[in-house]
Formats: sequence, structure tokens, C-alpha cells
Amino acid sequence: MSAEMALQEQVGASSLRSEDVNVWFGERHVLGGVSLDFQPNQVTALIGPSGCGKSTYLRTLNRMHELIPGAGFAGKVLLDGKDIYGSDIDPVDVRLAIGMVFQKPNPFPTMTIAENVLAGLKLSGRRGYDANELVETSLRRASIWNEVKDRLKDPAISLSGGQQQRLCIARSLAMSPEVILMDEPCSALDPGSTRRIEETIVELSDSMTIVIVTHNMQQAQRVAHNTAFFLAEDGNPGQVVEYGRTEDVFNTPSDSRTNDYVNGHFG
Amino acid sequence: MTLLNPSPTPQPRPAIEPWKTKNPINTRLVVAASVIPAVIAVALTAIFQLAGPIGLILVFMPLQIIAAGAAGVRIYGRKGFADAMLIIFTIFFSSLVAVLLLSVLWSVISQGFKTISPQFLFQNNKYISATTDLAYGGVGHAIIGTLLVVGLTTLVTVPLGVAIAVYLTETRDRGRNVVRTLLQALSGLPSVVAGLFVYSALIVTGITGYAGWAGSLALMPLMLPTVARVAEEALRLVPMELRTGALALGAPAYRAFFMVTLPAAKTGLVTACLLGVARVIGETAPLLLTINSRNETSIDLTSPMASLPTYVYQYISNSYDTSIQRAWGAALVILMLVAILFATARLISSGKKINLRKRK
Repeated sequence: MSAEMALQEQVGASSLRSEDVNVWFGERHVLGGVSLDFQPNQVTALIGPSGCGKSTYLRTLNRMHELIPGAGFAGKVLLDGKDIYGSDIDPVDVRLAIGMVFQKPNPFPTMTIAENVLAGLKLSGRRGYDANELVETSLRRASIWNEVKDRLKDPAISLSGGQQQRLCIARSLAMSPEVILMDEPCSALDPGSTRRIEETIVELSDSMTIVIVTHNMQQAQRVAHNTAFFLAEDGNPGQVVEYGRTEDVFNTPSDSRTNDYVNGHFG
Repeated sequence: MTLLNPSPTPQPRPAIEPWKTKNPINTRLVVAASVIPAVIAVALTAIFQLAGPIGLILVFMPLQIIAAGAAGVRIYGRKGFADAMLIIFTIFFSSLVAVLLLSVLWSVISQGFKTISPQFLFQNNKYISATTDLAYGGVGHAIIGTLLVVGLTTLVTVPLGVAIAVYLTETRDRGRNVVRTLLQALSGLPSVVAGLFVYSALIVTGITGYAGWAGSLALMPLMLPTVARVAEEALRLVPMELRTGALALGAPAYRAFFMVTLPAAKTGLVTACLLGVARVIGETAPLLLTINSRNETSIDLTSPMASLPTYVYQYISNSYDTSIQRAWGAALVILMLVAILFATARLISSGKKINLRKRK
């Protein structure tokens, strides 16, 4: 309990920093010494070719990689200066403070839209919240309220793919996390839904820290303040080649490999 | 008139359904290929006084294969031959299975229906002998006995089986392969062995006499593998994304399971329970060895009890007509019981229908 209190002491956006993160899947070394510093209230995009370890890295930020069989980890991830891999920290509390949105929308099919929004609170056993108000504010912040306000009792799978993804964002927001991690949240969606989710991301960055993995370089330029370019070369573990302000990474990259990638010469 | 209309309202045209469009010549060919062999086969069978099965297999089948092959080649060319063969063999073997199943059902229903009456369903077997008229006595006591014995088995086995399924799907423990192998071995266990085990362990040793609960105990190892394996399949069908979604929201594993995985697998788990009941409701051997039989109505699970399968066994061992009729009647009652159980459970589980497989 004290660990959870410590993690949630500071309300609002938090700084997240990783120091020398290494990940192994069995014998395979997939991430080698990734150190990144995510600024509060900023959107950071992780870009790079497939298999460079950026999704894996994202998962280490709230310990979701621990669900993959054979995953090994070394390094530190600091949330407001506190290591989330500390011996006194429960991964469940980490995930309460650091929310996650997945590539494929995954609303809970047995629940209604409203129940889905509140699912996180029920699942973590919280009490003493105003359900109606929380549903409304969460759905508003995920900019889906106007589309679903008259059908909150409908099953969540009756929504379209884009709406389902925004519902999943609302579900995360209801937990009032300090950081939200997004793993290619728009790759399964049409351009219209993508635009709405991007607008939501920009709005949300006022109040929280966001890390987003994307294959879409225009998307990174549209939403992200900072961009990190990941690359895994010839069997070496994935590493950060370049990290900086998005304009700099895309327009005046300091590394030739970054230049090749952002200009579409490979990947 | 229509020519002057600048923007005519488009009229819906009936959709083209290619599988429904039929070439009349082909249709005639197919009908001929189906009817002619049958007519020839019937005629030959009648002329040469052949036995039914011989006429069917030695005369009708070859004729049908030749006719269908010819029709296939005529319509589609060379590749039509293989097509025709596939269709002929598929139809032949599926009708074989259907005939087997339906003839069993038909004999039970037609014979059992002569016996069944309200009095047969509600009365017990007291003062009834093998030759007593069918207007007296019935299987009421055996219905209650079966429901109690199988009910107790279900009550114990379903939670146990689901727990095993959860262990197999939701954990990554090393013991899973051992458990899976043991479960497979258990599903091959002859039911009489389960009965003998309980008989020699509890009844011969004098721990208990013949008793309903001993019967339930003997049925448990028979039901367990069915429940566990079907429940495992049901849980495996729940997409991994739902579990990770719940865990990413900061749910402890047990809450994620009870609030997300379990509801999503509900229909499959009901099926697991049903198949388990269907597996044991007709078991005779273990019950003969453990609950014996009884002629009065009893709900005392610590004493000998009646059950439908043992009732059938008891009466079918006599060669009197009335006694055989009673056995048919009881067999029909078992079938009806299973049908009622299945229908109710289906109704309950489809109350709030969410089909996971459809939306993928």
C-alpha cells in the first residue's frame, strides 16, 4: 500500500526516465542499454523499423513485458525518481500509475460501454467514485462522449474500430494515470479515426506524459514533441540511434541512419 | 416518359446469386444421374431376390458412382469426375452415420413411447415384479436417484474441472504437461474400473454400504476429464488481448480472471458442464457396483439408491415382455432428461448472447 501511495503521491503529469534498459527473450538480447528521459506534459514518439524493440521497450515502462514468457530485464525505470522495478514495488501499482493503450482495440466484450470505462476501477478494487460523472469526463476527454452518450448501456463491441480504440483510451483515462503508453494505437484504424485519436493525444498532453510507438512518420511529426529513433542492426540488440526534438530528428538528423530512415530509404 | 426524366431514381435489382443460377440441361442430367441408378438397383434387387444391404452396396453404389461420374464429366469435363466422386462419397457416408443415429433414436422413441405414461414417470418400483402389468409402477424413484447422484457428481466435478482448466490455460507452471497427460489417461479409464475402485476401497472394506454418494464418487473420475478439457478449450478461445488489457489497467491476476476472462468464456463453460453430465448420466457399470438398486423412492444418499441406467439393466436382464418394455421406457426417459437439461442450459447461457467467435 505504501508503494502505491508513493507512486501516486504526485498528481498530474510526471517525469519518466529509463536508465540503461536491457531486455532479453530467452537467450536473445533484444534491447541494449536504452536510456531515455521523457519530459512531463510532452508527447514522445518511438519510431523505427519492425523488430527494433520499440514496442518491447514501451512495455518495460509499465512492466507489461513481464507477461511474455522468458522475458529478462536489467536496468532502471524511474517514475518521479522512484524505480518501478524496486523490490518493494508491486507491478500492479505500476500499471495503475502508467496506463497503456494497445495496437488492437480490446474493449471487454461482456461489458457495456459505461462498464468498460469503469472496468479499471472495478478491476483494481477502488471505491468511492461518482460513476456517472467519471464515465462522462473520461469519455469527453477521449472525445467520444457525443457519439456514445445515448447508448452507454450498449455492448462495447457494437462500436466501430475507431470508437472502440477511443473507448479503450477513455478506460485508461478513468484511472487518472500519470503516464499513458500507446502501442501503435492507430495502425488498425482508418484515417478519420486516426485524426480524432491524434487530436485526443495532443489535448491529453496538457495533463499527462505520453509515449507513443508509431510506424507512421507523419503521425510522429503531427503529435510528438520529441522523437526517439530505434534501430537493431544485423543481430545486435535494439538501441536508440537518435533522440531529440521532433523537428530536429526529422529535418536535421545528426546520424546518417536516422536520415535514411525518416526519408524512407529503408524500413 | 422515362427518357425525359433527367435523374431517374435507381431501382434495386435482385442480387445475382451465382450458386443459385442453374443450367436446365445440367439440372436434368443431375436428376437423371440420381434417379436412374436407383431405379435400376431396385429393379435388379427385386428380380434377383437380393438382400437389401447387398443390393445397396454391390448394385446401387457402383451404378451411382458411374452415373455421377458420367454426369460430372459431361458437365465440367475431366475435373468434374473427382468432383462427382467427392460429392457421392460425402453424401453416402454422412447418410450412413445419420441412418445409424436415427435408427437408434427411433427404436428408443418408438418402443419407449408404448411404455411411457404419467404414472410411469411418477410411480416407483415397489411391489412390482418382472411380469406386473405396465399399468402399475414406474421410474419416478430412478429419476430422482439419477438426478441426485449425477447432481452431486456435477457439484463436485465442475468446480474441480474448471479449476484444472484455469491452471492449464492461465498459468505457465511446469506441471501443466503432467496434468494434461494424466487427464488424457483418465479419459480412457473404463467406467467399470472406476466403479470397481470405489467398490473395493469403500464397500468391501466396510467403510460404507451401497450408497448414493459412493456412486457419485465413482462417476467423478469419468466426468472430470470431459469437463476439464472442454473448459480448457473455452478459456483458450478468449483472446489474449483481453487479459493483457485487464492487467494493463492495474488489475490483480485473480480479478482480471473473474471479471474479464471468465465472463467471456461463459458459454463454453456451460457447454463443458453439459458434456460432462451427458458423459455420466447413462453410466451403468459404476452405479451397479456402488449404489446397487432400490425399489422405493429415496433421497438418502447414504443408502442404496435407484437410478435410470441400473433400472434399465435390472429389467433388461429378464426376458418377459413387460420387463423389456419397462427398460425401453426408462431408456427413453434418460434421453428426455438429457434433452431437457441441454435445452435449459442453452436457454440460460444464451440469455445475454455475445458471440465472441463471430466478431473477430
